[in-house]
Amino acid sequence: MQMPELDSERREIIDELRRQIASENELTANQARAFVRGLQTGWNVPTIQWSISASREQYDDARRLLNAASIFQSLDGRGSPEARFCYQRSAELLEWLSRAKDKIESPVSLELLAAAAYQLGGSPAMATTLLVQAESKSRGEGLYADFLRANFDGVLRSVSDFWLDNPEISNRDAQRQILEDDGEDKVSWFLTVELVRVLGLLADTIRRGEVDRFELAKRKLSALDDLATRTFSDEVSLLITLLHQVSIDFGEASIYVPIRQLSALKPERASRLERFARGQFSRGRGILWTSQRQGLARLLEEESFALCTPTGSGKTLVANLALVKELLLKGDDDGPLALYLVPSRALASEVETKLSSELANDVIVTGLYGGTDWGVTDYWLDADEPTVLVATVEKADALMRYLGPLLLRRIKLLIVDEAHQVVPEDNERTQDDFAEHSSRSLRLEAFVSRLLSQAPDTIRIALTAVAGGAAHPVARWIQGHDDAVPVGSNYRSTRQLVGSFETAPDRAGQMLLEILNGKPLFVRGRDEPVYINLRTPPMPQLPAAMRNSIYRFNQLDVLWTSLHLASSGRRILISIAQQPERTMGWYKDALSLNTWSDAPFFEPPEEENELRSFNDARAACVDYCGENSYEVALLDHGIATNHGQMPQRIRRMMVDLIDRGICPVTVATATLTEGVNLPFDIIFVPSLMRRSFNAAEEQQVENRMSTAEFRNLAGRAGRPGAGKGLEGITLVPIPVRPSTTAQGGLRTQRRQIATMQEHWKTLRQSLLAEELERFDIDSPLALLLNGIAQRARELLNVAGEEFLGWLEAVVPPDISDLAGRASEDEMARLADSVDELDGVLLTALEELQRIDDTGLEGVLAEEALAAIWNKTFTVYAAAQEEWMEAAFIHRGQALLRDIYSERDERGRLYQYGFTPYVGRRFEAVVPDMLKVLSDTTSYGDADDATRLSVFANLGKLLADDRGFGFRVRSTATDQAILANWQGVLGWWMRAAEFEPPDPKDLRVWQRFVSDNLDFRLGVGLGAVVAKSWSDGVEGALVIPSLEAWRETTKLPWFGFWARELLRWGTLEPFVAFSLAEGLVGTRSQGMELKQEFSVWLEEQKTEVDAEDRIDPQLFLEWRRSRAEGPEARVRKRTINVKLDNTAGERGQYSVIPIVYDNVIHWFDAAGFSLAQSNAENFPFQGLVHRDDFQLRTDRDRPTVRRTYSGSS
Amino acid sequence: MHTCPPPKNEFKKRFAEYPDVKGNFGHTLLEQTKADDGSLAEALKGYFESAHLDARDKFHADIGIDLHPDAVGDEPVVAYPVSLPRTTRRGLFGEVMAGLLTETYKYVGKHDWSVPIFLFRHHEDAFQYLFSLARNPERTRQTIGRLGSDFIGLALDEDLNVTRIISGEAKWRQTLTEGVVETLMLGDWVAKDKSKKKSKENRERSGKGVWYFVNNEPKVPSGARQLQRLLQEHDPDGHDATILSLQSILVAKNPVPIPKTDLVVVVGNGGKTREERECLLPFKKAPAEYTAGNDLQIVEVIMASGEELIDTIYASLWKEDANA
Repeated sequence: MQMPELDSERREIIDELRRQIASENELTANQARAFVRGLQTGWNVPTIQWSISASREQYDDARRLLNAASIFQSLDGRGSPEARFCYQRSAELLEWLSRAKDKIESPVSLELLAAAAYQLGGSPAMATTLLVQAESKSRGEGLYADFLRANFDGVLRSVSDFWLDNPEISNRDAQRQILEDDGEDKVSWFLTVELVRVLGLLADTIRRGEVDRFELAKRKLSALDDLATRTFSDEVSLLITLLHQVSIDFGEASIYVPIRQLSALKPERASRLERFARGQFSRGRGILWTSQRQGLARLLEEESFALCTPTGSGKTLVANLALVKELLLKGDDDGPLALYLVPSRALASEVETKLSSELANDVIVTGLYGGTDWGVTDYWLDADEPTVLVATVEKADALMRYLGPLLLRRIKLLIVDEAHQVVPEDNERTQDDFAEHSSRSLRLEAFVSRLLSQAPDTIRIALTAVAGGAAHPVARWIQGHDDAVPVGSNYRSTRQLVGSFETAPDRAGQMLLEILNGKPLFVRGRDEPVYINLRTPPMPQLPAAMRNSIYRFNQLDVLWTSLHLASSGRRILISIAQQPERTMGWYKDALSLNTWSDAPFFEPPEEENELRSFNDARAACVDYCGENSYEVALLDHGIATNHGQMPQRIRRMMVDLIDRGICPVTVATATLTEGVNLPFDIIFVPSLMRRSFNAAEEQQVENRMSTAEFRNLAGRAGRPGAGKGLEGITLVPIPVRPSTTAQGGLRTQRRQIATMQEHWKTLRQSLLAEELERFDIDSPLALLLNGIAQRARELLNVAGEEFLGWLEAVVPPDISDLAGRASEDEMARLADSVDELDGVLLTALEELQRIDDTGLEGVLAEEALAAIWNKTFTVYAAAQEEWMEAAFIHRGQALLRDIYSERDERGRLYQYGFTPYVGRRFEAVVPDMLKVLSDTTSYGDADDATRLSVFANLGKLLADDRGFGFRVRSTATDQAILANWQGVLGWWMRAAEFEPPDPKDLRVWQRFVSDNLDFRLGVGLGAVVAKSWSDGVEGALVIPSLEAWRETTKLPWFGFWARELLRWGTLEPFVAFSLAEGLVGTRSQGMELKQEFSVWLEEQKTEVDAEDRIDPQLFLEWRRSRAEGPEARVRKRTINVKLDNTAGERGQYSVIPIVYDNVIHWFDAAGFSLAQSNAENFPFQGLVHRDDFQLRTDRDRPTVRRTYSGSS
Repeated sequence: MHTCPPPKNEFKKRFAEYPDVKGNFGHTLLEQTKADDGSLAEALKGYFESAHLDARDKFHADIGIDLHPDAVGDEPVVAYPVSLPRTTRRGLFGEVMAGLLTETYKYVGKHDWSVPIFLFRHHEDAFQYLFSLARNPERTRQTIGRLGSDFIGLALDEDLNVTRIISGEAKWRQTLTEGVVETLMLGDWVAKDKSKKKSKENRERSGKGVWYFVNNEPKVPSGARQLQRLLQEHDPDGHDATILSLQSILVAKNPVPIPKTDLVVVVGNGGKTREERECLLPFKKAPAEYTAGNDLQIVEVIMASGEELIDTIYASLWKEDANA
């Protein structure tokens, strides 16, 4: 075809429009005003000045953009990115007009037009959110809305209703009949029926992935579109054109497309994959987002890659399909394994739940996040089935030390979620983390680098949320070459607003919105800010004690506001930088003020399942936190709490309450939101600073929340697809004036307010600045090496070549007597940093030697070290220097040659998991710990006091050493707790007669438990038990099993349970077992259930000894005996039918059930009745429009079978 | 594309023309001198077929796609315009007449008008049905609004750039009387005091008549988008300049303005008491009700047995032996 001559002029016109009103991320003054006006209407506050002609202008612009988009498409093809921008902006303009409840006379609702444009602009989540919110004014509008938000189940429900009302036109000749009949309205009716038929057929074929009939339906819609263009008014025909365009997009974005490409790898798995795809449609995720399509395209063409897209852009699906590809579709190896690394335990459980729900039929999905190194649930170890391990890097590291070769033999895929976390911050805290061996980023870098050098064929996929500067180096690292680029898109599923929130003592707060999707939001002129004054009642005046602290006032005002916003259906997170217990205490006190009795009251949920979850969570809180705890008090007001020190079980329950919207308000620290998607409309961030006490310099150190952290947090705001979720709003609350009325306090409060404003200003500036430019990326190893070099220079005056020489020879105890004790002394810090480096090196070297039992002398060592170095993130990040590699290699050689020259010792140190110098010191207590474990042979019969004393004896071995033992901060509170550690232990283990902490001290107690009892004592115990196993099998690789455990370790069952008991806070193994298995919700319930086990046990054995009472094999046997109930009823899936209007020549028909006159009419989704059956004894109940049915006419007798159930 | 030239002579022979032009207002009265003996219908057949061809093709294409699962391929169908209901056919007739008149007679401004392709927007009740998803002729007739203009034509320069647009309303009414035309132009009677029943004393015009819609036509004539699309579909190269002109007004924030002529065509039989050359609409100057400020052309066509002509024409379309 000849290119029309005028295309350059044509392009000029559309480019001009795009420049004028559709620049990416940039609004014109009037667009910004339209947006703000829509926002204000939504918030029920007075709107800015506006005229109907301004609305008209926006509407005309939206229409211009739609026209421009189709011209772009005709010039550049359907995929034209320019067209997408035009659609996107058009959608926004229409959305804002619709939200402002404008009186634009448009026969087609603005919401429908906006939603269609959002779909075509590549923002399906916005389309969904907008339509969920809009009320359909008519049945037709409801049908089109369902279609436009890809709610195909909904479309089929509407279509079924239509046929229920119009059965007389469901025969084959109906369409012709309508036209032949009389009636002045027959053409209109004819066209309407045509459209209903098409949409039904489209919906049904899309979700079933039926290509031929989908193409037919699309062709029909195209014909209808042609017809509508000629016969309908402008807007009605536009709607049909848009429906047609969207249907084309749906076809292209269907998950069946990549699924079928994947199936080609292993056709025998195709039907399973089809089911997976169909399942995604049931979950409303069958139509892929742009970001997902990009990711899947990469997955299909390449092995390893980094996917960098914003939060909530559907990365999980890409990860799922990567798992499917590597575990189910490739090779025939037994038991392929994928390791899914997540940054936090909370995320581990989230990922595990998600993966299990989708893949559990085909692969074993198991989360390792705490607990024993090996426990009763670890059946995957010797399974032949494909397995996904979801673990934090700490956990994966521990597992590697224990079962490395087994893991390495099976591993096929490594997924690193939130991979940007490998980038550390360049500050003092990071250096301290190195010295204290607690740097997560270094652990991640070291672990992945080692894994890559030992199992170089492992496929790697990195998922990163924050674009920032991390994406490129992460991509290079993960792919292992310098020109790798991340797959990325700026797809955002919600709009993000950031600003401050002005709190004031005598009036409602107001939002000051300053940043929209990373760009400044201004309305009039250049710098007029956007205010939204909330209509909440002002907070009652606080008692003097409360208002005299400006911080307390500020946070209470936030709570007051949150409770009111929550009552209008919004979900709110109050994100606390530190000391959550202080905020929680403030909240509890305020909620009990008489003046607060008018605050919106929380009603526990009415729905049965929700109420049960709420009550279970409350019971667990009472169990672990105490009846008078802040946690329970706040929960009773519908406020969920969450922080890192909370027992894992409670955290999971809280997350569940938040996720399901049972608790509308949440108070939590950042640990809640690290990578976990939870539904919040608004996030308040009352403090941007974290204070810590530097003991060496005896002063408070303040660190501002990093822009990356803030951005990550802000990225969690917004609920795609939820009622109020068009925007996620993140607000930094700052008082406008002092809250105190005491003259003396005014000056201080004014100063404090000024500081808060200053912090926000600085952060805001860097948020805006960094979106524009890239920055140099730090890497953990480089920072560690730099830190060592810098301290050596400052403290020892060693630098340059001399430094390298020094580093080759020095051992930690030579630098400081306090080495290996986590001392805050500067020299000790240097020694411990060197030990940290040694840890990285020794671990890597030891693993190499374990795989390939050759020596590592001289050149071999150098080569091996260079190889490891070359796999590090540091090599691919920008900020590395040449001397670092030399330092790394020389130190490594020195380690082998001089410092830890004995192979056996290196093996033991490796196994303990501490850094080598700490490990050496730990080794001294190993025999004592072993002795305690070995001697505890009658734990099963012992009373509480005796049982507790075992733990106390173990604790004593660790209590006094900060290196491998208990470690607390040097604050007075923490020191006091350390002094009372046995009291804390008794309370935690729920031994009789131990006092619970005061609610205000609960969190520091919990921290002690999680840091020292669960973690440090647990790590020590784990190391000892693991050593016993290794010694028992003489270093051979034997997969642990319960049958062989006691014999191999030569330990009583107590050794098996010790860590698990510390984790669950119980002295009774049965309770730990039943909590871990989810049989009970609280420890008391566990104790009650134990009776049942005891009775069963007595029945089984004539003589029951102490070990029997805590034998995990017997627990499992009991559990199995319990589960043996009557066999689940198998539902009939096939019924006989009588054909109707068809001779059945096609053999197989996709059908939907429509019940009237007590007969099930089996319809083709295009509205043709094909068969009938008796409605009595209909085996398929419930939401049948979510199911797929198939009519078979190629058998003895016609039948209908349910081929997919989306309703159960 | 609509390519058939209007049968100007055949038409002029049978209609007396009384044109009036004052400034930017024009009025033309056409009176059919005697009832058609069949020859006019025959003369118009080609023009009507040409005007309907595109819509007919699309209509058949749509119906031909059979969604029934047992269907094997598309089926040839003949349904258009034979199966269209009477009222629809009359509406379509009005539209084609508007095109025919515009291409035949000189209007205010003496522009050469052409109708490259006909848009037929005569299924206004479809809008109602598409949203209610229920067939209810009674209710539909009561609540239906009026959507879009009925007619759009273009004046093109030698390179086929659009220099002027004509658009407006073409209305067929069986018998044209003062009352009928007033209702047409000013809207139905409605109760003045809404709390009371409508009566002779308590009534007023709804205001939703032809004048209202002509006055409130958006800056971009509402058929422009569709016309542009159809031209692109049928003749992207030949009419490239025309398409570009239309796209420019559809897209640009400040397009080179294309002047516009508003057209009002009223077609029907004369009332019993009508006298020759009697006009029902103003012919000396534009009426006060017209406020759009463009050139305005009114055409009154008084037919003799117009209904029979319509039926004859539509019965003859795409039939070889229409006269047999």
